[in-house]
Amino acid sequence: MEHLIEDLTRGNVTEVKVVLASVVLALAGYQLLLAAVAYERIRLPFLSSHAASWTHRASGDAIVALVLVIATMCIAFYGFEEGGAHTVAGLAVLGLIAAKVLAVRVGGRLGRLLPLLGISLAAFLAIAWLTSAGDFLGVSG
Amino acid sequence: MSRPPQWVQMLGSLLVAAAIVAIAIVVVTAHFGPASSAELEAREERLELREEIVEERQEAREERREEGR
Repeated sequence: MEHLIEDLTRGNVTEVKVVLASVVLALAGYQLLLAAVAYERIRLPFLSSHAASWTHRASGDAIVALVLVIATMCIAFYGFEEGGAHTVAGLAVLGLIAAKVLAVRVGGRLGRLLPLLGISLAAFLAIAWLTSAGDFLGVSG
Repeated sequence: MSRPPQWVQMLGSLLVAAAIVAIAIVVVTAHFGPASSAELEAREERLELREEIVEERQEAREERREEGR
């Protein structure tokens, strides 16, 4: 697996991971805006809550796929040894994604937790980015 | 002000997402500089090879000088 990842990234494993993680973080910010429009916390004259909700779902699917790729690269190439805060944040991201998918599927009372789960997910994505890509790019001091 | 049709809103919001992805890729790759690590390694290898050639020439020159004495 380690060799496959190295081959696919042509030896630029960290750089590819940093780019993908940054794309996920940028999309997560957009997701918060779309969710605010979908829940009618923000009203935009050119975007209905239905359209915002649809794009939120589509963009969320892309984020899940990217997070799974990044997690595979992280665990298979770097392992858990030097994780620390990044490992905890990464595991929280995976757990929150699973909880969010479950809440969407089950609905009902769990559905009411969606805004809280979404905000928590965005926060942990930011922590995971800061403790890895942020360090690499020199953003997090 | 009336909203554009539903499909235009959906397409527009998806295009915004695509633009965000493109901007994120451009901004982050700009941080990496002009070359990937694979290209940098190849450049280092070329430099090492050039240094080896220079050293070999110097040694050959010195040998010739010693033979001349």
